[in-house]
Amino acid sequence: MPTLKPTQHEALQVVPSGQLRRLNAEDIKPSTNNPRVLFDPPQLAELKKNIAQHGVLVPLTIFQPKGQVKYSILDGERRYRCVVELNQEGHLGPDGKPLKLPANIVEPPTMIAGLLYMFSIHNFREAWELMPTALSLKTVMQELGETDNAKLMKLTGLSERQIERCKSLLEFPEKFQKLSLDPDPKTRIPPNFWIEALPVLDLAMDKVENVKKLGRDGATEKLVEKYRDRKIKSVIHFRRIMESYESTEEDKTANAKVLRHIERFFLNPKTETRELFDEFIVDKKRIQNALNACETFITQLKKFKLKYTADDEERESLRKSLIEVRAYCESLEEALKGSDDPEAPKD
Amino acid sequence: MWRFYQSVSAALRFHDYKPQPLGFLSARRWMMQFKKDDQEHAALLLENVIYLSERKTRRILVEQNEALMARLARAGIPSKNLIYVQVHDPGSSSPVMLNMLRDACSLERRGCRFMDSRDSYGITKLTSELKEGALIYVDDFVGTGNQFCEARDFAMKNVFVPTFSEFLLVPSICEEAIYKIAAKGIEAFSGHVHSKAERPLHDNSAILEPSAKARLREVCKGISPRMSLGYKDLATMVVLYRNAPNSVPAVLRGNLNQTPFAGIFPRASDLPLKKLG
Repeated sequence: MPTLKPTQHEALQVVPSGQLRRLNAEDIKPSTNNPRVLFDPPQLAELKKNIAQHGVLVPLTIFQPKGQVKYSILDGERRYRCVVELNQEGHLGPDGKPLKLPANIVEPPTMIAGLLYMFSIHNFREAWELMPTALSLKTVMQELGETDNAKLMKLTGLSERQIERCKSLLEFPEKFQKLSLDPDPKTRIPPNFWIEALPVLDLAMDKVENVKKLGRDGATEKLVEKYRDRKIKSVIHFRRIMESYESTEEDKTANAKVLRHIERFFLNPKTETRELFDEFIVDKKRIQNALNACETFITQLKKFKLKYTADDEERESLRKSLIEVRAYCESLEEALKGSDDPEAPKD
Repeated sequence: MWRFYQSVSAALRFHDYKPQPLGFLSARRWMMQFKKDDQEHAALLLENVIYLSERKTRRILVEQNEALMARLARAGIPSKNLIYVQVHDPGSSSPVMLNMLRDACSLERRGCRFMDSRDSYGITKLTSELKEGALIYVDDFVGTGNQFCEARDFAMKNVFVPTFSEFLLVPSICEEAIYKIAAKGIEAFSGHVHSKAERPLHDNSAILEPSAKARLREVCKGISPRMSLGYKDLATMVVLYRNAPNSVPAVLRGNLNQTPFAGIFPRASDLPLKKLG
């Protein structure tokens, strides 16, 4: 059971302990953060049918938070929910009484153990929203003093890209982070706004003197104002700025012009992204080239008829190459997610 | 003569009702709006009002809070790990109750924390900082429990630290809400659980004769066809000094702007607008 201590790695071991008891469903508190969608209805129906026939065979893992009468669930939310439903439907156990739940009662987990546990269920079942994930990740980083992506991936089960996105969010001061948890959806800023805005902000603070003078918070505020005034119609539009800058890096005159436009973008509240940067966007030819390359790549590979390659060494090196291709394609696909259409659903 | 005594009794019992001063004359005026045969039933209805004066409200909150704090202290949770949460919008009763409790129990001096249920960021951050503790929601009255559960779910949406227990501190709560809140694992500390049997106009109450109940229900319907027995037909009888809940029967609240029927416990929002200047 995850009775963990924050003092590093032995803390992350699962230590079976506690006592086994049979409890009424009313003695147990449902999890606060287990979203309902986490439970696939057909799977839940199957489990429920099984429990109706045989009762709960695998004990839940529960603990009693300090001061609370009811037990909280660490593991076994689905079994608990099935029993609650069966009891509500009037199903009785073999003893003619409402169904009970066998449960291992363990010591309350430490905050960090509980948090890592929550990470694990949410990764395997349903992802948390980005901002709360970032806040939880921040707690993990602070408590364990760990900032290395690979280690954080292992601890939390998040992908590297998710960790990077969270870290981008955490680069903004709290007053801006708070805007993404605004209870009013009309004034809430989507978390993707910060992630997409970050490289533009870094670039402007590095290269544009008049933006630098605003200070980082001042410049960020300008972007928030612009977004609220709908001068940034889609958060994806920030990419046009970066694309404009990167595609003109070889041409000093054009690049200087992009920087002047970035200055106007920050300082003039009326300017829109597309109006300032569309002229720098490179034609569609390179996308077409990429599409052709994808097609040729697949066609060629199919032609080679590689499925039954027998040589171990060759097979291994081919697998290695394919894994590299896949990793690059996945990262590119992930980076291209989102829509330029302001009406498209946002994060 | 009995009408005289009823009016005096009402004036004495409900004298600190805030939205509108309640004295002998206003009590009598309320009674006289009923047909003669109904006045006795109306008087009986009034007798069954469970009135929580400011003093009583404070006493209940303080007593319940002390009991809760003592239990949490025994469980090893110091007062600095207690987060008191006001629910619903600013200006509603919850912040008023929380302020009252804070002052009466010197919660600030004890190091307790205060949050708004809408500040999901702040709650997430604070629970992570404190690592373990208790969230104590404070409200004045809970009827169906729907509104409370909605506010609580929003507050807890991003709280991933499982080492916090949750409590609701409330002077009065309806029996319907107790089950709903308990199902979420929240324990209510309340001075009064308002049962259906205590509500004369409720289906499950035998306080009034069926014919009297039917008559008064008809009057309620005449005042407010849609909210005759209050929100979700709860027909509750708890009235707090600060305001009557929206779940009381229409005869107690009266019409909007108090015409043609003037209630004895109009809600602040039922009263005509006062002219400024």
